Amino acid sequence: MSAVAGILAVARVELQRLLRSRMSFTLLLVVPALQVLLFGYAIRPTASSVSVAIAAPSADSGSRVAEALARQTGLRVVAKGLKPGAAEAMVREQKALIGVEVPEARGFGEIGFVQKPLRIVVDAANASLTAAAVPRIEAAYWREISERADVAGNGPGLKIERLYNQDSRADWTFLPSLIGVTVMISMIMLGSLSLAREREGGTWEALLGMPLRPIEVMTGKLLPYAVLGLAQGISVLGIGVALFDLPMRGSVGALIALIPMFALAHLVLGYAISARAATQLAALQGAVAFYLPAMLLSGFLYPFETLPDWARALGQCFPLTHFIKASQGALLRGDTAAQVLANGLPMLVFLVVVAALALFAHARRLD
Amino acid sequence: MAVSFMSTSDPLIDVTGLGKWYGGRSVVADVSLRLGAGEMIGLVGANGGGKTTTLRMIAGLLRPDSGAGRVMGEDIGDPKRDCRAHIGYMAQRLALYPDLTVLENLQFRASVHGVTNQRIEEIAQTYGIIDVLPQRFGTLSGGWARRVQFAATVLHAPRLLLLDEPTAGLDPATRQDIWHWLERLSGQGHAIILATHDLVEAERLPRILLYHQGRASEAMTPAALIEAMGALNLEEAVIARARSLQA
Repeated sequence: MSAVAGILAVARVELQRLLRSRMSFTLLLVVPALQVLLFGYAIRPTASSVSVAIAAPSADSGSRVAEALARQTGLRVVAKGLKPGAAEAMVREQKALIGVEVPEARGFGEIGFVQKPLRIVVDAANASLTAAAVPRIEAAYWREISERADVAGNGPGLKIERLYNQDSRADWTFLPSLIGVTVMISMIMLGSLSLAREREGGTWEALLGMPLRPIEVMTGKLLPYAVLGLAQGISVLGIGVALFDLPMRGSVGALIALIPMFALAHLVLGYAISARAATQLAALQGAVAFYLPAMLLSGFLYPFETLPDWARALGQCFPLTHFIKASQGALLRGDTAAQVLANGLPMLVFLVVVAALALFAHARRLD
Repeated sequence: MAVSFMSTSDPLIDVTGLGKWYGGRSVVADVSLRLGAGEMIGLVGANGGGKTTTLRMIAGLLRPDSGAGRVMGEDIGDPKRDCRAHIGYMAQRLALYPDLTVLENLQFRASVHGVTNQRIEEIAQTYGIIDVLPQRFGTLSGGWARRVQFAATVLHAPRLLLLDEPTAGLDPATRQDIWHWLERLSGQGHAIILATHDLVEAERLPRILLYHQGRASEAMTPAALIEAMGALNLEEAVIARARSLQA
């Protein structure tokens, strides 16, 4: 029997099993769709929900501060005209995220007679949320001062040009990365379960007894999943374009061409984990141990450029890091096919290394 | 003690001094076996005696820690892929995909071994599993599942059959069927090694190797052992033999 025939035989049976498994379909189709909707609609890390309480010695000064803050986007004044100290109390009681304590009976940016600074009390337990809001309050403060000093119109001003994502849409930031995250999680899970499931089900012994080489078993088992990974990636991309107006400014074809290799890299890694894991649970734990750091260090959850040097060096090892670059390039920045495909080289290196590990770990015998 | 079962035909299996250790404990020691086409031999003994380990070493699924020899002409320590194409190994545990139908399971095996669909039909007819072909393997009763597994094992007409407790837990009718099939296959020239702890069934075997604590103590006909131990049947003979070895 030829190697191709062996691969096709294993691939066919794997596909049949996949089509029978509701859990696999849930993992491949339902979970990604939910992730896209969740990240697209629900998770928008803007400061729009940052609640601000204002305490001032007089109602008039409290109102002026509230008016100044209202001109800033993303801040929601939940209380104004409170008595001094009450804004801080609201923060401590978790009724507001930020409290503004105006020390004297004057406006937000009124200069002169300043004896005490304006006090901003921030609930820094939720640092990522409040960190974005505090600069807005500072901006409001300085703007008010410049307007009252009548110097606001004297300078040339600022002209901010936001390239690639003019409205700073959070969903456009997440969705290109989400294509990679979705495919990565699904593929590494499926790869991890592949051999462990055979071992627990008792079919591994029979498979070992057949005239199949390890590379034929591995290729045959993983090929159907790689095709599904491609379909999954295209689906997430399609949902992003259809529902969230995700632009496609660069070579999307090159991005799609990278998906099978990206999927295979994680499938093969999962397979290597599976070859050494005694049970399906152990295999899944191994998968999670890989993809959590990948999500943290690839630029998906935190901007890659903000990571320390050692973390960025480690992050370069994950295919997800390079896929995110390729995806953002192809969709937002308008990268050419060559620029997009250049991100495939580190993925290829990763694939070759883990394939060697997987074949080494693949037991030819039960011992 | 080294034991050999000498066959008069060309040997498909010719191994000597096979041994296997797990964690410093010997589970099989000094097993020797020579088996030719058309011969059938049973590995008989209590659970945990080393029968399954012996079968797995011969099937190429475990590497022997000691001993040497050839199986289907290949070195038992490093069998080639082609060697496995001529072996039919039936594990004690059901080893077909439960979420696939019987037909799909057989088609998979057929693809791996390069067997035609006509052969699947032939085998299904021979082993009476036509009616369950569209049924998912996982939904079959124990008896039907074992029949199907047997059919899957012989689908590619292997020259050597290695069967681990093929009748364990089955009803009498299915047991009878399996024994009938075994005798027929043996008559057709297939070499068969069968592991069993059922001493009533073992009396049907032409030759047996008695396993006791990992050692295959001897090869003989069941009748010879019964006579040697002065027993009424094989069960009594084996128990008496075990006691004498312990003493």
